[in-house]
Amino acid sequence: MIKTTDICKIVDTSEGSLVILEGITLEINQGQSVAIVGASGSGKTTLLSLLAGLDSPTQGTIILGGDQNITLMSEAQRAKLRGAMVGFVFQTFQLLSSLTALENVMLPGELRGDAGAGDNATRLLERVGLGHRLTHYPRQLSGGEQQRVAIARAFASNPKILFADEPTGNLDAKTGSKIIDLLFDLNADFGTTLVLVTHDARLAGRCERSILIEAGQLVTEAGDVSRAIA
Amino acid sequence: MRLALKLLIRDWRGGELTLLLAALIIAVGTVTTITLFVDRLQQALLLESASFIAADRVISSSRPIQPELLTRADEYGLSRTATVSFLSMVFSEERAQLAAVKAVDTGYPLRGKLIIADEPFGAGRPAAVGPKPGSVWMESRLFPSLDTRPGASVDVGAMTLPIAHVLLKEPDRGGGFDTVAPRVIMHLSDVGGTEIIQPGSRVTYRYLFSGAETQLQAWEASVRPDLPADTRLYGVKEGAEEIGDALSKAERFLLLGGLLGVVLAGVAIALAANRYAHRHFDHVAILKTLGATPARIDQIYLVIFIGLGLVATLSGAGLGLLVQAGVAEVLRPLLPVALPAPSAKPIVLGLTTGMVCLLSFALPPLLTLRNADPVRVIRRDLETANPSSLVAYGFGGFGTFGLMWWYSQDLRLTLLLFIGGLVAVVILGMLALLLVRSGRQVGLQAGSAWRLAIAGLQRRQLESALQILAFGLALMLLLTLFLVRTSLLSEWQNQIPADAPNHFAMNILPDERGDIRAFLDAAKVSVTPEYPMIRGRITELNEVLITELTNKAGSERRAPRLSSTRNLTATAVLPKDNKILSGAWFSPTSEVSEVSVEAEFAQSNGLDLGDELVFEIEGRPLTALVTSIRSVAWDNLQPNFYLIFSPQMLQDFPSTFMTSFYLNGDQKALLSPLLRQFPTMTVLEVDALIEQIRTIVAQVTLAVEFMLVLILLSGAMVLLASIQASLDERMKQFVILRTLGASNQLVRTSLAMEFAVLGAFAGLLAALGAELTVYGLEREIFDLDYSPSPWLWALGPILGAGLISVIGMLATRRVLDQSPVSVLRALA
Ligand SMILES: Nc1ncnc2c1ncn2[C@@H]1O[C@H](COP(=O)(O)OP(=O)(O)OP(=O)(O)O)[C@@H](O)[C@H]1O
Ligand SMILES: [Mg+2]
Repeated sequence: MIKTTDICKIVDTSEGSLVILEGITLEINQGQSVAIVGASGSGKTTLLSLLAGLDSPTQGTIILGGDQNITLMSEAQRAKLRGAMVGFVFQTFQLLSSLTALENVMLPGELRGDAGAGDNATRLLERVGLGHRLTHYPRQLSGGEQQRVAIARAFASNPKILFADEPTGNLDAKTGSKIIDLLFDLNADFGTTLVLVTHDARLAGRCERSILIEAGQLVTEAGDVSRAIA
Repeated sequence: MRLALKLLIRDWRGGELTLLLAALIIAVGTVTTITLFVDRLQQALLLESASFIAADRVISSSRPIQPELLTRADEYGLSRTATVSFLSMVFSEERAQLAAVKAVDTGYPLRGKLIIADEPFGAGRPAAVGPKPGSVWMESRLFPSLDTRPGASVDVGAMTLPIAHVLLKEPDRGGGFDTVAPRVIMHLSDVGGTEIIQPGSRVTYRYLFSGAETQLQAWEASVRPDLPADTRLYGVKEGAEEIGDALSKAERFLLLGGLLGVVLAGVAIALAANRYAHRHFDHVAILKTLGATPARIDQIYLVIFIGLGLVATLSGAGLGLLVQAGVAEVLRPLLPVALPAPSAKPIVLGLTTGMVCLLSFALPPLLTLRNADPVRVIRRDLETANPSSLVAYGFGGFGTFGLMWWYSQDLRLTLLLFIGGLVAVVILGMLALLLVRSGRQVGLQAGSAWRLAIAGLQRRQLESALQILAFGLALMLLLTLFLVRTSLLSEWQNQIPADAPNHFAMNILPDERGDIRAFLDAAKVSVTPEYPMIRGRITELNEVLITELTNKAGSERRAPRLSSTRNLTATAVLPKDNKILSGAWFSPTSEVSEVSVEAEFAQSNGLDLGDELVFEIEGRPLTALVTSIRSVAWDNLQPNFYLIFSPQMLQDFPSTFMTSFYLNGDQKALLSPLLRQFPTMTVLEVDALIEQIRTIVAQVTLAVEFMLVLILLSGAMVLLASIQASLDERMKQFVILRTLGASNQLVRTSLAMEFAVLGAFAGLLAALGAELTVYGLEREIFDLDYSPSPWLWALGPILGAGLISVIGMLATRRVLDQSPVSVLRALA
């Protein structure tokens, strides 16, 4: 489903060029759930944004869905691909402030021109337990509620891969674990590939696989989560 | 498309669009209001001032012109009539008097009214039609000098005609001293019977036309090439010097105001659009993660843009129409004339302005949205991304320039303002940045609210500088307009002071001087000193006979000729509104015979200081040295002279004298006994003319003041828009301070101080910019005498600080009263 070969990310800063990621080669299969873990500043977010095609690597190739080489694509093509097969959940929720919960969830469908975007969105919001808050604006919702709307939105396009960057990072432990339950439930229902970045050992533990990043390099790829986190 | 519309509606409902939409509507509204109202006022002014030439257009000629040229006016749907003027002796039973006879055709006057009375110097009323064939109307002062009364008959050439009415005022009498002789008007059909006009007689034929302005212009373009060289075709601006100047200056001012209105509207739109784009940068990044391509983003924002534009321009134009109608209604009692209905042009102008403003100011920031990087959703450190770019500024500049040019139809004015504005923006921008940077040193020692304020400004150096620039620009435009307005009004008021002499007495015999003065003194009328007045001409220039000089002025018909016979005078006092340009006014001790020459006369005839002139007066030569060159305010309605001798020089010549005095309405009756007692004296009445000019000037003033108010309003809107645009950033800062435990009082004070500092800096820059702009405008466009305004340098900063902190605190008050949490949520 996701296959990278030798990707590097180098950025130019005022103090010369900085290597953020180096020689990352990995493969993630359809339906797998993978946690990317590592110390703060190690490059997890950077890797995720590369895998999702939000950013381009300096070097190396990334292939999604078996044959889509996103490193060769234009931004327009990548956007289309994102709309078709990728969903996102962010630490800071990233809902559109001027849209209601329902409209936020409808958006991916509307962008694709689906006729049933509204019904689908309503169903999803009911599924995440917000059926009664459809017309509320993000500012009227709590952090946990906003993240649930974001999760509903992520599944609205029926994605093949779901990327999540510290989805519980802004939430307390109790709300966080509810969100995680929801994420994995939906993931199971939709048969989605799940790639998430987290500092949370429990969350990482629920994934089938963990990838540890240290100073921009892939250190281990362990099926055993406890070793990776330790 | 559907999605874009949905997003537009959702944005609107979410309050995201309010500011941008308000800026647009107000911009379009102001421009429409201004152009509509100015259009109507201008039409009214032209109509009113057309009375100065009794028509909209006049062809004047010394010979009758071909009938074909006249009938051509009928094809354009114009009304027309004609007058014939000549000098002739008029006889009563007892006496004779030279009169300026004007024979008028039925239909005269086409504009304005004839005012008549039953008794000389009596109470006037408008006459519906001119004199009927077989009768004359005579000016009041002719009755005492001819010793006759209404109802009696006078002889004009070969005809004896009864005097039907006393003529008090004719619209196109004018104020010139070339028509000193008293007026007699009669019907055109009687001219043949008088047998006065013979080959070689000096006669002026005037053909009067009136109609719609567009028709007039089309007709003018068609006949102008066919007119003989010695005829003159003119409208009121060329035909009535007394008001033509005020009219064109007012027109230019209104134009300038409109231009500034357009610029201010543009700035407001740019600020609002920038804020909108800024806020939407994250939205776009999110849309992109959800699969929207850059082309899709363009499409969405283009639809939003067009939707906005349609709603804004249409409602702006509607608003403009309403406001303008309301203003016209409110002003109705103040306006002496009824405003004509508005034409469609201003509405089209308003709509176009809105669209162009939107296109050049709002579109560029919106189009940069496509570049929003989707990584933004994860990497908030890209936050510094600025949606505006050089392209955007280029767009805005280009659009402004195009609009200004189109609006003013005047490339020179547009270039002057535009380049001036550009230079001002660059210089002011750099100064603003400098001011913000240098604020640090001052800030460190001061109290903590002050330090917070300065720190706030420093943290966002570029934004602060930009904001100072925007405030400064708006303030500068307002100050500029205010200063130009003040100069204009004071010029107009000085043109004719309230107690300016409104009667001129001429042909006063030397031995009557004392008696006349005594007569007027007894009636408590203040009289100016008498001038000697005598006619004479120049015969030699530097020992060369004039007849042997090639006449340099020959080609310019309107230039004063060296050889013509002129009115000469001698005085020790420089007459009012005369200014010495070179040389020196007569010194009281001088022994030499000196003459002071008017500048235009000197220039067109090549005269210079030190030239020696020989005059011929009453058959005797008189030599004088040119010792000064003087400018004369020809439109001040005072006796003015091309040539003035040093005192005593005319003593040996049999000159008569002239003087002037002010009569109010009640004193008017004195004229009858005065003229009966001194029948040789001529009195020119210009009180009616002065009244007429005052009316026009009052209207023009009103128009100018109105423009100022409108521009003030749109200026305030710009200030509000730019404060709003910075509000998000300020609110974040406020929340952080509050969370850190800063008291509301401290936050409030520091915010107020921040605004005050911004405002003071902006005011300082505005004073600088305004001073420079006013200098350029008054010299290049308005022909006014520029004088610096030192008070501006104090007023600017104080005004800026006061205005901006008040508007700023009002705009932020609601938010300051809320808890940090709700502010944070609102910002999310
Ligand atoms: N555009 C950039 N310019 C400069 N440095 C960058 C840029 N992007 C990332 N970095 C640096 O690269 C490193 C990795 O960043 P990244 O955000 O991927 O870390 P992370 O593992 O997600 O950390 P955290 O757990 O704190 O979120 C950091 O040191 C960051 O400062
Ligand atoms: Mg991270």
